[in-house]
Amino acid sequence: MFPGLQLPELALSFPHGGMDIAFYAVAIVMLVTAVFTVAVKNILQSAVFLIFSFVTTAILYLLLHAEFIALAQVMVYIGGVVIFVVFTILLTSHLGEDAFATKIPRVFAAFALSIAFVFVMVKCLLPMPELSSGAVASAPDYSSLQNFAMRLLGYTQDSFIIPFEVVSILLLMTLICAITIARKTKDEVEKEKEVKQ
Amino acid sequence: MFVPSVTNPIGDFVRNLVPQVTAYLPVAFQSETLDSVVAFLINAVICIIAVCAVNIGSAPILIYMERKVCAHVQCRLGPMRLGWHGTMQTIADVLKMLFKEVYAPSGADKLMFYTAPMIVLIAPFMVCALIPFSKDLVVADVSMGIPLIIAVNGFGVLGILLGGWSSNNKYSLLGALRSGAQIISYEISFAMILLFVVMISGSTNLMDITMSQQGTVFDWWIFKIPVLGFIAFILFFISSTAEMNRAPFDIAEAEQELTGGYHTEYNGTPFAMFYLAEYIALVTNSALATTCFLGGFHAPCIGFAPVDNVLNMVPGLVWFFGKVFFMIWCYMMVRWTFVRPRVDQLMDFEWKFLLPVNLVLLTAGAAWIAISG
Repeated sequence: MFPGLQLPELALSFPHGGMDIAFYAVAIVMLVTAVFTVAVKNILQSAVFLIFSFVTTAILYLLLHAEFIALAQVMVYIGGVVIFVVFTILLTSHLGEDAFATKIPRVFAAFALSIAFVFVMVKCLLPMPELSSGAVASAPDYSSLQNFAMRLLGYTQDSFIIPFEVVSILLLMTLICAITIARKTKDEVEKEKEVKQ
Repeated sequence: MFVPSVTNPIGDFVRNLVPQVTAYLPVAFQSETLDSVVAFLINAVICIIAVCAVNIGSAPILIYMERKVCAHVQCRLGPMRLGWHGTMQTIADVLKMLFKEVYAPSGADKLMFYTAPMIVLIAPFMVCALIPFSKDLVVADVSMGIPLIIAVNGFGVLGILLGGWSSNNKYSLLGALRSGAQIISYEISFAMILLFVVMISGSTNLMDITMSQQGTVFDWWIFKIPVLGFIAFILFFISSTAEMNRAPFDIAEAEQELTGGYHTEYNGTPFAMFYLAEYIALVTNSALATTCFLGGFHAPCIGFAPVDNVLNMVPGLVWFFGKVFFMIWCYMMVRWTFVRPRVDQLMDFEWKFLLPVNLVLLTAGAAWIAISG
């Protein structure tokens, strides 16, 4: 873009093109919404910020060409948080009030812990040579829906049909358990009938 | 340097055109990167204008149509005074709504109150960008169209819930919770019908789904699979009506019980945004039904060459909007014909009837594919 300008040689790849700028913009939005998720006192507002944080995570996946993961992120997590919102409204009272405030020593401890974590991450991750190169590692349609599905549901040596089916049985079990807990027993039904009569 | 690009035929046209124009500029401004950046910006503006034109432009037309259809169903005339047959009436109403003062009720959560209408608008605009209006007219020709539609539909219910809760009004909250329960339930059968279409057409791209229905009327998915296609179409119609919160499934609004449901406390522009989202959802759901079942932008050929040649002379865009407005007319007639079910009847209908039928339909579709090869 600017032929005269030489970018300094750094281990980090600095924003060179649209993709890098997009990454940094999305990452900043993601961090800000994540901080708001824990900082906001109203539980519902915090849920909404969590949703926006998930959306930006999905956009990050899109930037990495992992389209199905991005959509699964939106479908599963945002759908899940929406249901969480429903239950928050249903099950909590005094929702709109700022009901609780964390004590200062706890905030200080949290800050110290997170700064230590960031320091360790930067110290360990920055020297890795793989991080500084921006090259795309896989073929362009490696994560397309067709390849993804063939891999997930195929029955060759490197595909995952059996774990997939096992997980579906687990889901069925949880569904049946939920219905068993929620349904009325025979005694309860008879009692209700008596009350009505 | 990587520059994102809009992948559709008009995008290709602009990408070809920009280097030809920049060739006349001084040499200092000529570079491939600059060309691609300029082409991308032009394409992005074109896409945004196109989506906004279809969405915002169709809303006044639909409001007028709704009033007229409603009036004629009830043996009235509808708006007649302002302009020829009342055509200016909706424009006047829209202007009135946009110039109203915007205020929130006391005790409302202001941030959520004003964010909710914006969240509601995400899903319809996003779905509209995926729909192929003609062979060359599609904003985002992405390979995962149907999963994307299923994914973004979740935002609508989020906006409704937030709007209802943040209004600080018990009727709004009741309406929002009813609507949340309803949309979360009907989303399942809505997604399953779309998966049925994906299964029989073998693609999640909406353009591929349209192209798989090329040929005569009997190649459309509604007729191509005997009986199953028609059942799937009817189920899609029912579940999308419930998904849009339209009558007869409008228990979320139910003005006789809840004074208007989740948008009771809204006025001015935020209310207009809820209203707009409702009507854009009508367009996008009709467009989805058209794309998935009624052959998209293909002309209704009957397999008799002289007639087909005449029909094919009409551009695809006209056929597409003709079918879309036929579907919208169907939705409106259903709205003014059927009575509203109770909340428990609505839930029973979804969980005890629609969902099992959908599962059977998916299995039958798979069997049909296996048998017909």
